[in-house]
Amino acid sequence: MTLMEKFLEKHRTKLKIAALAAMLGIPFFLYSAALHGSNFQVKLFLALMAGNMFLVMKKG
Amino acid sequence: MTDIFFVKWIIAFSPILTVLVLMIFKNWSGSRAGAAGWFVSLIAALFFFGAHPRLLAYSQMKGVLLSLNVLYIIWAALLLYHVVNETGAIKAIGIGIERFSGDKSIQILIFGWIFASFLQGVAGYGVPIAVVAPLLVGLGFTPVVAVAVPAIGHSWSVTFGSMGASFQALMAVSGLESAVLAPWSATLLGITTFLCGIFAVHVYGGWKMVRHSAPAILIIGVVMAGTQYILAVSGMWTLGGFGASLTGLCSGLAVAKLKIYNQTSHSETPSEMGLWWALSAYFILIVVVSSGVMIPFVKAFLGQVNLTLSFPEITSLKGWVVKAGRGKAINIFGHGGALLLYASFSGFLVYRSKGFYSPHALKTILEKTVKSGVPTSLGIVSMVCFAMIMDHCQMIYILAEGVSRVFGSLYPVVSPWIGLLGAFMTGSNTNSNVVFGVLQQETAQFAGLSAALILGAQTTGGALGSMIAPAKILVGCSTVGLAGKEGPVLKATLRYGLIITGIVGLITLFFSYIGGK
Repeated sequence: MTLMEKFLEKHRTKLKIAALAAMLGIPFFLYSAALHGSNFQVKLFLALMAGNMFLVMKKG
Repeated sequence: MTDIFFVKWIIAFSPILTVLVLMIFKNWSGSRAGAAGWFVSLIAALFFFGAHPRLLAYSQMKGVLLSLNVLYIIWAALLLYHVVNETGAIKAIGIGIERFSGDKSIQILIFGWIFASFLQGVAGYGVPIAVVAPLLVGLGFTPVVAVAVPAIGHSWSVTFGSMGASFQALMAVSGLESAVLAPWSATLLGITTFLCGIFAVHVYGGWKMVRHSAPAILIIGVVMAGTQYILAVSGMWTLGGFGASLTGLCSGLAVAKLKIYNQTSHSETPSEMGLWWALSAYFILIVVVSSGVMIPFVKAFLGQVNLTLSFPEITSLKGWVVKAGRGKAINIFGHGGALLLYASFSGFLVYRSKGFYSPHALKTILEKTVKSGVPTSLGIVSMVCFAMIMDHCQMIYILAEGVSRVFGSLYPVVSPWIGLLGAFMTGSNTNSNVVFGVLQQETAQFAGLSAALILGAQTTGGALGSMIAPAKILVGCSTVGLAGKEGPVLKATLRYGLIITGIVGLITLFFSYIGGK
């Protein structure tokens, strides 16, 4: 088991809470960025959302 | 159907297929499968359906607003469950009901069919499954059966439950009055009342138990379906689900006294808590929710603070337009979740005043609520978010259009399946009616069919979708220790959901054949 896997295993519950908070929080930033026409920010937050979903898919 | 359209249809279906395969055949949890479905829908939307970053941004925000409405209920329902369970009340209720009726089929019908429908009538959004599943576990049913029974049993009451929210949505999108829509909707849902009762029993005891409980299902079913029909067609459709299940509860308790259901010896197991004290939190729930929903002054007072966001019109690169409008509003103090919270706090105070809690009970209750709520919430948010991507990129519309094209004159058979698909995707009969209502109406008119009949089949399918919607299955599983193991439950409810929808489709075809208007 790698160091990263050990870390993920040890903090599984806290990470899930963080993932949920990110899943619910990031779209507010996405919405704000889209409303203000900031394409870079929209893409950045979409990338963050995708990263968060990837974490959930791997460790859900 | 052209080859290109067929390929588009397959691609549009791929996110749903991904979730189904991963949950049913690979035993993935709802959260993992939902995240995988999100990626598949994102890729399909970007490469084949003209999605662009702004469209995705707005779709995700709408998804979160929808999710928050559902999560509000779920977290409050989990809190209520742990408030009750920490006292040992769930076990006491199980023992108490076993004393009242030792007949397993009656227990299933009273809890999984009638009481679950009553909860749908006053609350909805997964509450029936979340509340009833642990009660059935307390009665000795396996967790899979305990979730599957209320999931199947309450579905008939979804359209006219929650104060008729789904029916209201159907009227809003179709522009038709309740006088036009109600008769067919109530008729088809009335037929499913019996089917839901039969299959709720069948999931536990097979056809032998169905035969044993046939008189009870017949009597209670006539009472519930009849009451719902009368309320719906007489303009009181907001009370359709609530009133039907209330009369069903009275008839159910009367039927339990029949000789054929009193042959099993009643349990004599002693309980540390009396049945009425154990049920006190649920009595409080009924009083609070009934007051919050049905007393105009209380409803208006609680409904003063609503949170929502406005969305501009957005067009995909393929020309699919999503109109400007507000997202799903969250009624902070009058929401079903808020009412559940009030009931939870009141229940906690009642139990504490009677000394049913250990010193650190509150900490334990909160820890257990968080532990069971987080995985469920992850699954719901990811699934609603990918459903919103599909909705904003025409994918859901293409799925429905493809099905209607293939079946042509047999469209009445298909219409409940489209409703089912919408509810499966979004976990909501209301959303299904919003997404597919206009398509169903237009297709019916084009084919010379009764729009009221087809829309009745749409909302019936949407109601039945509640029993297979992962979002709702996740809720039930989280309350009986099956979080992360939703696959077996989905496998069980899927079978019955598909059978009942198939039957409703054939009945709709029959009604359209004999000239239903």
